[in-house]
Amino acid sequence: MQKLYPLTAAQRMHHDWIMNYKTQQVSGVSVVASLQIEMDFGLMKKCIQEEYQRYGCLRLQFTKPDKDGQVKQYLIDRKRGDIPLKDLTGMTLKEADDLMQTWAYNTFDGDDIPMCEFIMVKLPEGYNGFFVHMDHRLVDSCALVVMISDIISLYIHYRYKGDYPDPLADYEEVLMKDIKKATNEKRFAKDKKFWDDMLDNWGEPLYSDIKGPSVLEEARKKHKNKKLRSADIVMDDLFVTVKDYLLEPEPTQRLIDFCMTHQISMTNLLLLGIRTYLSKVNNGQEDITIQNFISRRSTQDEWTSGGSRTIMFPCRTIITPDTDFLTAAYEIQNMQNKTYLHSNYDPAFIRDEMKKRYKTPDNTAYESCYLTYQPMPVKVSNPKLKNINVHAKWFANGAATKKMYLTVSHAKGGMNFSFHYQTAVYDEHDMELLYYYLMRIIFTGVDEPDKTIGEIMETV
Amino acid sequence: MEQKFKEIIAQYAKVPVEEITDDKKFREDLGLTSLDFMSLLGELEDEFDVEFEEENAATVFTVADALEIMKNLTEGE
Repeated sequence: MQKLYPLTAAQRMHHDWIMNYKTQQVSGVSVVASLQIEMDFGLMKKCIQEEYQRYGCLRLQFTKPDKDGQVKQYLIDRKRGDIPLKDLTGMTLKEADDLMQTWAYNTFDGDDIPMCEFIMVKLPEGYNGFFVHMDHRLVDSCALVVMISDIISLYIHYRYKGDYPDPLADYEEVLMKDIKKATNEKRFAKDKKFWDDMLDNWGEPLYSDIKGPSVLEEARKKHKNKKLRSADIVMDDLFVTVKDYLLEPEPTQRLIDFCMTHQISMTNLLLLGIRTYLSKVNNGQEDITIQNFISRRSTQDEWTSGGSRTIMFPCRTIITPDTDFLTAAYEIQNMQNKTYLHSNYDPAFIRDEMKKRYKTPDNTAYESCYLTYQPMPVKVSNPKLKNINVHAKWFANGAATKKMYLTVSHAKGGMNFSFHYQTAVYDEHDMELLYYYLMRIIFTGVDEPDKTIGEIMETV
Repeated sequence: MEQKFKEIIAQYAKVPVEEITDDKKFREDLGLTSLDFMSLLGELEDEFDVEFEEENAATVFTVADALEIMKNLTEGE
């Protein structure tokens, strides 16, 4: 009998979405990783099978939900199952990507079943590699990048006599440490006090939408509550589409230089830009909350153990228009540092506390924007691959639980702004406006950090 | 206490404990991000059963700074 463990807070976040939205699709994550080389697929299959042993999280399964909808996780001893090979060489790379995109919509339906599937792929233009589709409770994006790199390193080791990759941390050991931390009563009390104090001091948060105050007004009418401070989220039409914008290398470097000079993290600069936009389009609203994703990986073991460690916390700030840009950036940084210190807390408890205090209606939220900044590029780095082209691509799962989810990552020497938005709520023009003003706000502030937030909102 | 303290820092800096010398700066020399640093403080609090004042956290730049605060906190109990 396998040992059963509770889900961590990060896993529970995904699990709750699956239960609330009634589809596992919202928890799917998929990526293709391929190299422009002749590939020995028999060897690649062996490497993927070896990865199942090295990276324990790939062998995670979940029990049937109990009467409260909760599940337990456990690790199985995976037998050497088959890894299929698909030949897509008769297509263009675009057509192959489109086909793999449809695979990303698949769901893992059932209890006590594997939640991870590999397909080796022969792609057009000489690219060869594998597509992997998984449940987000097994891995987050950092864990996926580590896994891809490890599989490629195994292949390089066996095929080209490269170094055998360093061992990866034991998933179960790190999980037990996480569970121990989460059940530390003193730590829990400190974290709870921090989040409760914020509500004591600032009261109920106030919703802000990228389309302006009309969204909250509609929610107030619907709920017949003129003082309602949260707005409805979409529960039934989860279709999502993606709009990408690339910020070129030169302006990206200006942002990096600003961050270095003033010791501001890129995440905080982006949060300031988004909150200023929300304030601008909501009649200067000062109390703004954005959900920011944090990947709780700091130690070597946390980095290499796999698992889902990314979790979102509200970044709530009250910034007056007479605050200068740099001071506002430090205010956000200060708030984020406190959040990091208390990020061991399960954010579900924050939502529960607000619901208890303010009777927040079901299926409403205080936030319209969600941010992930990924400093780690999706790349396959190995000295033996120096001159080899790589084709790697993330595929959206096609079902969004959030109105607008912005992923900012480094790509092509610049930064890629990837807006995932629910088509039931927003359209491409909303994203164009958001990106346009976001850039205007950030670059105005970077060029003139003494300018006040109020002046910047007027200028842009 | 000092040895355990440095072992924890070494885990976060991903370097051998011998490299955790007093003069090392958390950000510049050990490469810790804000999230790493604040997570480290949380782990030190739990391990040594102390509580950092938020203002103190802002004045910690080097291993020696952190060690001094830790010693004051543990001796003050």
